[in-house]
Amino acid sequence: MTPVLQVRAVLALAQREFKGYFESPAAYVAMVVFYLVSGYLFTATLFLSNMATISGLAEAMPLLLTFLVPALTMGLLSEELKSGTFETLATLPLEDWDIALGKFLGFCGVHLVTVAGLAFYPVLLRLLAAPGAGLDWGEASGILLGLLLMGLMYGAIGLFASSLSRSQVVSFVIAFLFCFIFFMAGNLARFAPGAASTLMEFVGVDSHLDTLAKGVLDTRDLLYFASITFAFLYLTVVRLQSRRL
Amino acid sequence: MIRAEKLTKRFGDITAVDGLDFEIQVGQIVGFLGPNGAGKTTTMRMLTAYLPADQGRAVVMDLDVAEHPLEVRRRLGYLPENNPLHENLEVTDALHFVGRLRGLYDDKARTERVKAVVKTCGLGGVAGRKTGELSKGYRQRLGLAQAIIHDPDVLVLDEPTSGLDPNQVHEVRDLIRELKKEKTLLLSTHILSEVQAVCDRVIILNAGRIAADGTPDELSGSLQNKNRLHLSLKGPRDTVRSALASIPGASSVAGPAAWGKVSDAFVVESEASVDLREEVFRLASSKGWPIMHLSIEQLSLEEVFRKLTGSAEAGPGEGAS
Ligand SMILES: Nc1ncnc2c1ncn2[C@@H]1O[C@H](COP(=O)(O)OP(=O)(O)O)[C@@H](O)[C@H]1O
Ligand SMILES: [Mg+2]
Repeated sequence: MTPVLQVRAVLALAQREFKGYFESPAAYVAMVVFYLVSGYLFTATLFLSNMATISGLAEAMPLLLTFLVPALTMGLLSEELKSGTFETLATLPLEDWDIALGKFLGFCGVHLVTVAGLAFYPVLLRLLAAPGAGLDWGEASGILLGLLLMGLMYGAIGLFASSLSRSQVVSFVIAFLFCFIFFMAGNLARFAPGAASTLMEFVGVDSHLDTLAKGVLDTRDLLYFASITFAFLYLTVVRLQSRRL
Repeated sequence: MIRAEKLTKRFGDITAVDGLDFEIQVGQIVGFLGPNGAGKTTTMRMLTAYLPADQGRAVVMDLDVAEHPLEVRRRLGYLPENNPLHENLEVTDALHFVGRLRGLYDDKARTERVKAVVKTCGLGGVAGRKTGELSKGYRQRLGLAQAIIHDPDVLVLDEPTSGLDPNQVHEVRDLIRELKKEKTLLLSTHILSEVQAVCDRVIILNAGRIAADGTPDELSGSLQNKNRLHLSLKGPRDTVRSALASIPGASSVAGPAAWGKVSDAFVVESEASVDLREEVFRLASSKGWPIMHLSIEQLSLEEVFRKLTGSAEAGPGEGAS
């Protein structure tokens, strides 16, 4: 028997989760923080460098996501496990993959909307900038894509963390630690010796974001994000299955 | 319809369910009765493909649960213990949500089903309320509504009336009686009056094993080692007494004494296998003593339960029956 994704059930779950974010303050708070910080970074770079670029966003947004994404994902499964509704879900005709993916996609929707909102900045620049001071669209979309992919990867990590504990706080801390490792690995790489340095460089999220931020679309970077995202989704499913023992 | 074959589940050192064998026929309503920790929930979780069995197997509607978990879940409605609900959903949204996850994708058909279960479960008055704001009674109705949204043939309800006040218990039981007309139903409870009120058959579980299995009446009967006849004959007391004592098979006669509403009642005991009623009738008619009262005392299910499970916990039913 090969499990086939039940697409419509997955979408029903994702839709429910997406709506749920906007029925509690969680998504709004996260978005307000997100846009306040990004707005500050944007204007600061704009006035300091007087250049038509959103590169300021690439500086501090990754660190912000390291906090925000775990906050958004901490309840995804831990709440269901705590309230017992996981048993309801798990005794519906759904595979654990359906449940994990539905939850994940619900978060993806929120993250996508949030990052899409950042497109406001390059559009604004395009409108404001003098015709000669052309905005680098490749760079701008690279930065946005980087933030998008990074958030999705963190989301999968957060989902996994959320499957580990009935406590949202514990889930948050675990997710944050994992995300922070990926965040810091690149930064610490230069202090590590030889091969370790290269490895840390690759494991860390920074180098991949940097390439994207240069407007370079490299399959290695895409593979990096995709494989880590998938790996944590897979771990989530393994974890859900082990709960049934 | 539902069959357990040597069904076994261990958690570490604890054998929560220990080689259960039972079969539930189509249309039966069976009560799992047992003290806390008897293994009721664990058994139900194996039947609903939530937990895998360590040994043995469960079969639901001719489908092996381990081999066809999704198909089994598709056909079965389940109300988990403590009735977990998504607190921030409105009642109708919760039903639509579960309906969609159950494959009722067609909006129109699903809306029809939601309407139908809202009506069946008496949720009309609270349809727009948040689940988290419902009273316990309504929460339970919603849990049941979710369990039957796809009109399953088999329903498994884990302690559907626990934590309700007597009126709510009554309402939920009425609802279960309504449901049982068309479904095979397995419910668990640690309340005795519940099985007497709604079940055709009782399976008493204790420490993961079946301690008894039968109709409520059979169970009360089978555990008596003595038959006790309460009777009252209109005749001279002393003569009646010695005549009763001389009936073959009568091991002792007590009375006359007041017994309930009967003022001059004798109690005649015999072996459990001996039914003295016919002898009593012959005696009474040959002597011309009218029979004013004649009844066989049965152990209440509660006494049976206590005897089998050695549990002091099982008080009288927690609610009106
Ligand atoms: N997930 C679990 N992990 C460890 N022990 C469990 C688990 N679920 C149940 N048990 C144990 O199994 C036994 C039976 O529990 P349960 O099936 O919940 O009984 P009941 O529903 O009759 O009260 C109990 O001793 C309980 O502590
Ligand atoms: Mg239980």
